Amino acid sequence: MLSYADRLNSMRKTKIKHTIEKRKQNGYTDLDDFGTVPISEGYEVEPWYNSSNGSFYGYDGMAENFCRVMDAHEPYVDPMEMLCGRWRDMLVNYRGDVHYLPDWLKKKPKIMELMASATDQWSKRWDEQRFPYDELKPLQEKYNIQTGIDSDAHLACDYRIGFELGFGGLLEKIEKFRNKNPEKSDFYNAEEKTVYAIIRFIDRHIEKIKELLKTEDRPEIKESLENMLTACENVRLNPPKTFHEVCQWTAFFNCASRVCTRDGAGFQMDTILYPYYERDIKAGILDDEKAKFLIANLLLIDPHYYQISGVDENDKDMTNHLSYLILEAADSINIACNLTVRVHENCDKEFFKKAVYYLLKNKNGWPRFCNDKALSEGYMKNGVDKKTARERIAVGCNWMCVPGKEFPMNDTVKINVAKVFEVALNEMRNEENRSTQRLLELWEEHLKLAIDITAKGINLHIDHQAEVTPELVMNLMMENTLELGEDISKCASLYTVGVDGAGLAVVADSFGALETRVENEKVLTWDDVYDALRNNFEDERTRLILNSSPKYCEGNSVSDKWAKRLTECWVRNIKNQKMPKGRCLVPGWFSWARTIEYGSKVGATPNGRRAGEPISHGANPNPHFRTDGAPTAQSNGIASVQCGYGNTAPLQIEFDPGLSADEKGIEIIGRFIKGHFSQGGTLININILDKEKILEANENPDLHPDLVVRVTGFTAYFASLSPRFRQLVVDRFLEGV
Amino acid sequence: MVKGLVADIQRTSLHDGDGIRTTVFLKGCPLSCLWCHNPECISFEKEIMEYPEKCIGCGKCSEGCYSGAKVVCGKEMTAQEVFEQIILDKPYFADNGGVTVSGGEPMAQKEFAGELIELCKKNNINCAMETSLIYFDEEIFKKLDFVMADLKIWNDDLHKKYTGVSNKIIKENFESLNSLRIPIIARTPIIPDIDQELDKISEFLKTLENVKEYELLPYHPLGIAKQKALKKDITEFEIPSAEYMKELKKYAFIRRQTKLDAQNKDKTYH
Repeated sequence: MLSYADRLNSMRKTKIKHTIEKRKQNGYTDLDDFGTVPISEGYEVEPWYNSSNGSFYGYDGMAENFCRVMDAHEPYVDPMEMLCGRWRDMLVNYRGDVHYLPDWLKKKPKIMELMASATDQWSKRWDEQRFPYDELKPLQEKYNIQTGIDSDAHLACDYRIGFELGFGGLLEKIEKFRNKNPEKSDFYNAEEKTVYAIIRFIDRHIEKIKELLKTEDRPEIKESLENMLTACENVRLNPPKTFHEVCQWTAFFNCASRVCTRDGAGFQMDTILYPYYERDIKAGILDDEKAKFLIANLLLIDPHYYQISGVDENDKDMTNHLSYLILEAADSINIACNLTVRVHENCDKEFFKKAVYYLLKNKNGWPRFCNDKALSEGYMKNGVDKKTARERIAVGCNWMCVPGKEFPMNDTVKINVAKVFEVALNEMRNEENRSTQRLLELWEEHLKLAIDITAKGINLHIDHQAEVTPELVMNLMMENTLELGEDISKCASLYTVGVDGAGLAVVADSFGALETRVENEKVLTWDDVYDALRNNFEDERTRLILNSSPKYCEGNSVSDKWAKRLTECWVRNIKNQKMPKGRCLVPGWFSWARTIEYGSKVGATPNGRRAGEPISHGANPNPHFRTDGAPTAQSNGIASVQCGYGNTAPLQIEFDPGLSADEKGIEIIGRFIKGHFSQGGTLININILDKEKILEANENPDLHPDLVVRVTGFTAYFASLSPRFRQLVVDRFLEGV
Repeated sequence: MVKGLVADIQRTSLHDGDGIRTTVFLKGCPLSCLWCHNPECISFEKEIMEYPEKCIGCGKCSEGCYSGAKVVCGKEMTAQEVFEQIILDKPYFADNGGVTVSGGEPMAQKEFAGELIELCKKNNINCAMETSLIYFDEEIFKKLDFVMADLKIWNDDLHKKYTGVSNKIIKENFESLNSLRIPIIARTPIIPDIDQELDKISEFLKTLENVKEYELLPYHPLGIAKQKALKKDITEFEIPSAEYMKELKKYAFIRRQTKLDAQNKDKTYH
């Protein structure tokens, strides 16, 4: 008889097999694992392109193509599992975005034709024929702005809405409000079509389970499949009633939401699932072992961003028994996992220690940790009440969102401040009185222009996203959407739109190097520096003079001071930007996984960085910021550049502390996390790694196909990353050894 | 304030005592252990460490080296200046983390070390010292939260041969330190080529009730690169195997329970 442990082991092995197969099908990909399974033999989608632009847009275009991709999905049922459903393909693959093009699609001439006119800055996902923005492009290019125009999915559903109604209830709600708002029938028809596609997806799973049951002769697996069948039959229309059903419902919804717009935002898992857990335990139909298995299964199906623990609006600890079970479940499957543990001084201390224990034990980059106090107090500064601020949860790489209410576009809008710096520096070149002070003034002037043009792009996007990329699946679980017949981009309660700066350390260290070597020590002149930048450091000595200046995160260094000044300037200008219709901008520091791409747009910089080299990662320091690479120094530096309005400047750290998962190890890592948070840090994406293993995997990824690293906010299988990106992760890691 | 000669300040030090610590390496040591892993901390003078593999051949050594090919080891600092580095990590120290004054032999710069410890204690920072115990100063030692001290070889002749000094005074200082009731972590670097007589060292240490732990540290050759950089004669020793270390484990002991261990002795996390 197969035990839960046997089955989990089998599921994990299948996952590793899938990871290897996916790499063969997709090529290297510097993205989240997403939980997808490989494309099946003969998989084919014929997209319906409704624009002469060559792409598809709007309610009809999105709904029709959502149905086509969903309907092409074969059911996925593994008898070892208790839950079923997986996704393989997503709409964005067909929409002309160079960031999402798996190798298997490169064989399609139509796709490649569409892709031909797309660039890394401008995809074809936006309907430029109807909503052009050519007037914004020169400055967007000048400052290397990731515009957010064409973005999607960077918001969070309120799962309670779906859990309460079920897919049948959602259909009734659509019908009810379509009758009230007949002029919005395009919206409602598209939403209805979307729900029916999800139900058909469930139906195919039901058929598949029935087929498997015919030949299954292991009694425990047969029983499990029968339970799976019952759960699927119940949730195809009804609201989920049991713990098993709520997990299965979530699995189906998440598959659909991923296919539509790659949405990876989960929910506060422990508190939202607790009533189901408690009811089933009382009813005697669930025990802790089964609950853990179901959660592990859900985590396997998709590495959505779930959050656990934390405090409520009254600062009361929300940790419950399920919080513990979720950690144990994640440990039992131990794969790519985006669990975030909320940390607050009132929270259960044993729970925090247990979370740290798993980080040390598994060395697989989970969980990560966020700071309830700094995040909610910061978010309240945007004029939001404490209750709402405390509902804001970690649902993306660096970002938070109030489920059901907020339209934050978080992590989709970035300004490459290193590029802005380059423009300012070039402008100062022929001025008579060159100084770091003057350079800062110019940087700020250009920053204002960059922010203004970014804001225009954001407004264009929000004004028209509904007509381009309506959030068909996410709309089902947002407030006001179905009631008003509006896409969430039109009717959110909160438009606190995140704008992240990328390249902080490059700019801070450049200012620091100029102040140290040119202004204070006079080892170099301004002309020396300009010449060196123009010829991309032909003279290595000049490069080293600049590069060896004290760096950001060294601790009380000249560049540390610059990083703080730059942050003040960044925050002030973002917050001063006027926005219409109750929208406001929220500053953060984050580059996501695009440091290579952003770096390729920036020439040589005075910190000794050569032209085209990657910019610094998020709020992290540049390599070799201290000879000891001290994590506490990095932590202090990053805590000092928090923007303070509820969005993050994450501490991304990887190191091999040579510690065991014992009391001493837990105490030290716990102290490190709390030390960062006590100084205002917001989010820690942490990799405790095994030096030998990661170096081996970098040489030969196939040796460790199960090695997971937290790349930025997301986790990925190391073996799936491109060689260049693997090297970046390894370099960051070696810094912390 | 007297100035100390500081070789390095290492933050997030996780293996020099409890908790997260900042280790301050002072320059200068009256011992000259042939296996020393911090050979740059033996001389009491500033030294140039040379890493020719980093040289870019610019020919401008006299104008300053920026490539890392020539690095000055040793910086004159006041205790206040060092303290300003230490205090940066106070948010991580909690009750048991803090500062470890190391070297070299920190007591060779007694006045400076005393000032630094005084400053840290005034600011409620846990203070430890790594010392050879070649010196003893009751006033300074009394302020420490714990001391890590080596007894490297039992036989005095061998001790003189490999470290350059007699261990007689070291043994006496162990006894004096024990009488101050400061927790002591005693240690021996394990050099398989030498008959260190661990049984006798262990027995001796067991007679001292404040030796809370006796650790055996396997010799590692990390000091060799630095010896090369300092152009010093290199003596290589055999690296003890894991089996050999396991065999010797019988001589090591732990007497103490940390506060955390005591609180959590019955707890498991799996």
